[in-house]
Amino acid sequence: MNYLLHERLDRLAREYALGTLSGGARRRFERVLAQSPVAGRAVAAWQERFTVLSASLPPMAPRDAVWHGLEQRLFTPSRKGSGWWRALGGVLAGVLLCTVVLQLQPELIGLERQSEALPASYVGLLVDSENKPAVLASSYRHGRKLTLKLLQPLKVPADRVAQLWALPSDGSAAFPIGVVPASGPATLLLSDSSEKLFFKVSRLAVSLEPAAARAGDKPTQPFVLSGHCVKLW
Amino acid sequence: MPPVDDLPTLMSRTALRDRAAFERLYRATCAHLLSVAFRILNNRDRAEEVLQEAFMNVWHNASGYNPVVATPMTWLINIVRNKAIDALRSGKTERGSTLALDDEALAVAGDDALEPQRLLDDSLTKAHIDSCMSTLNASQRQALALAYYRGMVHTDIAEAMNAPLGTAKAWVRRGLDKLKDCLQAAGVTA
Repeated sequence: MNYLLHERLDRLAREYALGTLSGGARRRFERVLAQSPVAGRAVAAWQERFTVLSASLPPMAPRDAVWHGLEQRLFTPSRKGSGWWRALGGVLAGVLLCTVVLQLQPELIGLERQSEALPASYVGLLVDSENKPAVLASSYRHGRKLTLKLLQPLKVPADRVAQLWALPSDGSAAFPIGVVPASGPATLLLSDSSEKLFFKVSRLAVSLEPAAARAGDKPTQPFVLSGHCVKLW
Repeated sequence: MPPVDDLPTLMSRTALRDRAAFERLYRATCAHLLSVAFRILNNRDRAEEVLQEAFMNVWHNASGYNPVVATPMTWLINIVRNKAIDALRSGKTERGSTLALDDEALAVAGDDALEPQRLLDDSLTKAHIDSCMSTLNASQRQALALAYYRGMVHTDIAEAMNAPLGTAKAWVRRGLDKLKDCLQAAGVTA
């Protein structure tokens, strides 16, 4: 390869590896990359150089939910089947309850800043044994986050965690969603989009487990909170 | 950066669908990789989403990893960085509607201008190329740091540094030329 061409390729490779090559130029270079081992080697050499620049980054431990979500997405067989619609009959009361809560206190899930209409989302309201609202869970339909709002502090013994479970409407086994903190708002990362996870889920529940549940685990303790989970359009 | 001695083994076992090796690979690298994504996205939730997506790719594409071409850490950083940059550039509107910045994001925001420069200085010191790189002026170093750590494109850099676009491009180019020369001279990379 002649020197000028090599120089030009190396310049594109380094801008690509750095990320400053953007838009159409980036896509064009990606097509070159797919066909040119020389371009691939040039990019790899620059990536190796840039790795030196990452040496000083302070480590930042991800929350457990990231790994649990990964395990769930990669290693838990997806639950497919019919009969989701049977959930609808059972959850109408929940829809009403949630709608009332949201109309009275739309700021609970930040809806007042978006628009008058409720966005497509899943909402669950968990109540305690005395039927008092305890936890409000909400997630945008295509989101991968579940926002939790504690409506009263949770009493969690020191050696337990408040594990949130999703209960499918077809009666199949509950699966773990994440750990609810004892107080304050929280965001749980979901293992898949809300739509995929909650489509068939009619109820949410919390049990006080000795440890955070992993993909495939089942509840070992009685539910202390539970409630309907519904889809809002 | 985590110890890297057994990463090649963990990578090759991950390629053979060894879940335990995959988990060890994740545990050994996740804190460093989350930091890479977080510098770019400045938001822990989104950085963690990117990390999770990246490791989905790692599991599915580990067999495509070629130890002759890149070290495992470089390969992993590259996946995370590309995803973070994609998320940054595609999600500007979504970013605006994010409800709350967490404390870490606020801490970084408060230190926005200084942090990339400091990260660059520390990395150059660690690689023993700080004196070689000291012939770059402050603007050239800052432009390089903003591009690498923040995932900024030339127009972002020009705006952040209040300079004409052509000048920002020249600063980055000069920084890259010098980086290559210094690493070569120090025998760190080819």
